[in-house]
Amino acid sequence: MDREAFLARVGEYRAQGLRLALINVTTIMPAAAPVHGARPEAGGAATPEAGQVVPADDTPGDVFEVAWVFENDRDATLAKIREQVGPADVIPSVSAMFGAAFLYENEMRELFGLTVEGINLDLQGQLYKTATRVPFSHAAVKARLEALTGATAAPAGGQAAAQTPAKEARA
Amino acid sequence: MANPLRLPMAPRALRNLVSRPSTRRYPDEVRPRFEGARGTIEFDVETCNFCMLCMRRCPAAAIRVAREERIWSIEHLTCVGCNVCVEVCARKSLTMSRDSKPVHTRADVGPLGQRPGHEEWHGADPATAATPSLPAAAAVSQLPTAAPAPIAAAQAPSAAG
Amino acid sequence: MKRTVVPFGPQHPVLPEPLVLDLVLEDEKVVDAVPTIGYIHRGLEMMVERVEYSEMGFVAERICGICSFMHGMGYCVSLESIMNVEVPERARWLRVIWAEISRIQSHLLWLGLGADAFGFENLFMDCWRMREEILDIFEKTTGGRIIHSVNRIGGVKRDVSDSELAAILVKLEDLGRAFDRTAGVFANDPSIHHRLAGVGVLSATDARAVDAVGPMARASGVVMDTRLSGTSGYDQLDFEPVTETAGDCLARVVVRMREVRQSVDLVRQAIARMPKGEGLPLETRPRGNPAGETFTRLEQPRGEVLYYVKANGTKNLERFRARTPTFANIPAMIKLVKGCDLADVPNIILTIDPCISCTER
Repeated sequence: MDREAFLARVGEYRAQGLRLALINVTTIMPAAAPVHGARPEAGGAATPEAGQVVPADDTPGDVFEVAWVFENDRDATLAKIREQVGPADVIPSVSAMFGAAFLYENEMRELFGLTVEGINLDLQGQLYKTATRVPFSHAAVKARLEALTGATAAPAGGQAAAQTPAKEARA
Repeated sequence: MANPLRLPMAPRALRNLVSRPSTRRYPDEVRPRFEGARGTIEFDVETCNFCMLCMRRCPAAAIRVAREERIWSIEHLTCVGCNVCVEVCARKSLTMSRDSKPVHTRADVGPLGQRPGHEEWHGADPATAATPSLPAAAAVSQLPTAAPAPIAAAQAPSAAG
Repeated sequence: MKRTVVPFGPQHPVLPEPLVLDLVLEDEKVVDAVPTIGYIHRGLEMMVERVEYSEMGFVAERICGICSFMHGMGYCVSLESIMNVEVPERARWLRVIWAEISRIQSHLLWLGLGADAFGFENLFMDCWRMREEILDIFEKTTGGRIIHSVNRIGGVKRDVSDSELAAILVKLEDLGRAFDRTAGVFANDPSIHHRLAGVGVLSATDARAVDAVGPMARASGVVMDTRLSGTSGYDQLDFEPVTETAGDCLARVVVRMREVRQSVDLVRQAIARMPKGEGLPLETRPRGNPAGETFTRLEQPRGEVLYYVKANGTKNLERFRARTPTFANIPAMIKLVKGCDLADVPNIILTIDPCISCTER
């Protein structure tokens, strides 16, 4: 990502009096990963849902989409900056301009494993206490999805067993 | 700064002294829940056709239906009382009772050591559907073995007491 | 000067949910505060991987018990926006009515907790006694006191008859009158004044600098109310955002009290303007799976809540993010706590109306 351009844009938004509303990270799972929500057929392999749209992923490696959302309270519009980043990218902190950003940025680090530099209040990984260290990293999400769709190994039990696997795995 | 001699709460406080308490003496006095309150799920196995729609739609995965074995079961402690199963049942076999009954005491702790709050019904064998009041001919059927391990089978018997 | 670190939390009588603030003290003055949350992080956003989009609404409404209705509503509004579903008019009005009643309930809860925080138990019980009336209304109309489960994608599941609505309005008006007496205590009692006036002052500039939302910002004079944007049925209601200028704890109390009265008025307007009759459609069934993304904003009792929902055409959503108002107000809280007396810390923290279960999801 172009850090100077990004920080310049953020500075512009601050000058216009916009409020930081959200910094969101989405873990973009590549097409090759087990698909969301697939209900396996009885005794068969997992099949994608008809008409499923899986986001195309050209860049190698794990992709996260980070969205900075700023709100204009006067006319209730949102201004967004979106960047696709990988775990190796260093994201500059916006907390110099938006002091409240530290919570979002600490969360980005702790839940998604992204590197953010220059946060004004750096909580050193102590903000959340989670059982899995980086619960939304690609590896963690992939492991969970595999556990869900992989729970179809049909046990001895008849039709009823095959109908219930996804719900079983949830229970 | 406000006048330190004012006591705006005094009239209320004095009234509280002489009036009856606002709290009910529960459990001696119980307010019945209002009509339409969401309490516990009740099931009528006679009308069920084992279509399994309730199981598919349950967001908490509290309902388990075994079509072949004609067993319908619910984990009351997992149920969140969302009412979706009642809404989707085409045969109106499910109703939401307005009271929340203590479900752990009516647990039939099953042969698999099912958790407290587990309630199970066995439907009549469709072959003998002409006389639906006959009890299920087979011995107590097993739930599908894919059931997740219950929370420590040892807990269930002691909790039932 | 020697510095001591006193941990505030995770359990504290004023906190409805656990929160840790490590307070660095010099004598009795707080010099710095380091927050730690995560005690009730339940990973609800992770549930999108396992729960289908039609069922996620039930998870969303369980993010928090106090703000429950609007979380469910916000989720459904987001999905309706993605799937292009138009909610029938009566359902939209019912949602507004329930949302405003939920706001009354939340503010009464907070006022009671606020009174308890400075030791005024009588007033605390008074507020909560009034709140019971509201919870009874919810039980009669939705089936549950706290978790309502009436919102579905495309509408609501239950109707409230016109006669029932009229009865509810009468009850709310009675409550409004009883509440006026309680509000008089908050405004005039000298001990409350002593504890709250001039404490934790947040100027308008500071409120904007820390991006505060909700009553926190409005009490400092910042005019900000998501309902003004007119979404989700608020476009046909007349109201002005309630603001105060003092920016101290007392001003925030006054803002929330005035919002209770404002909500009663909004319910009255909604009941007057909604389409009357029996058997009107309440739900539009959505078709297919959602694909796309949306940002939805609602005004919860604590401020603006922002939902980001991203769907990819399957039964499971790709991302559901609820940025709750307390998340946005925590920087404001930390700013206020610095420089105050140790004895004022509970009052200041309570004054942002902390809903940590919303913050941590």
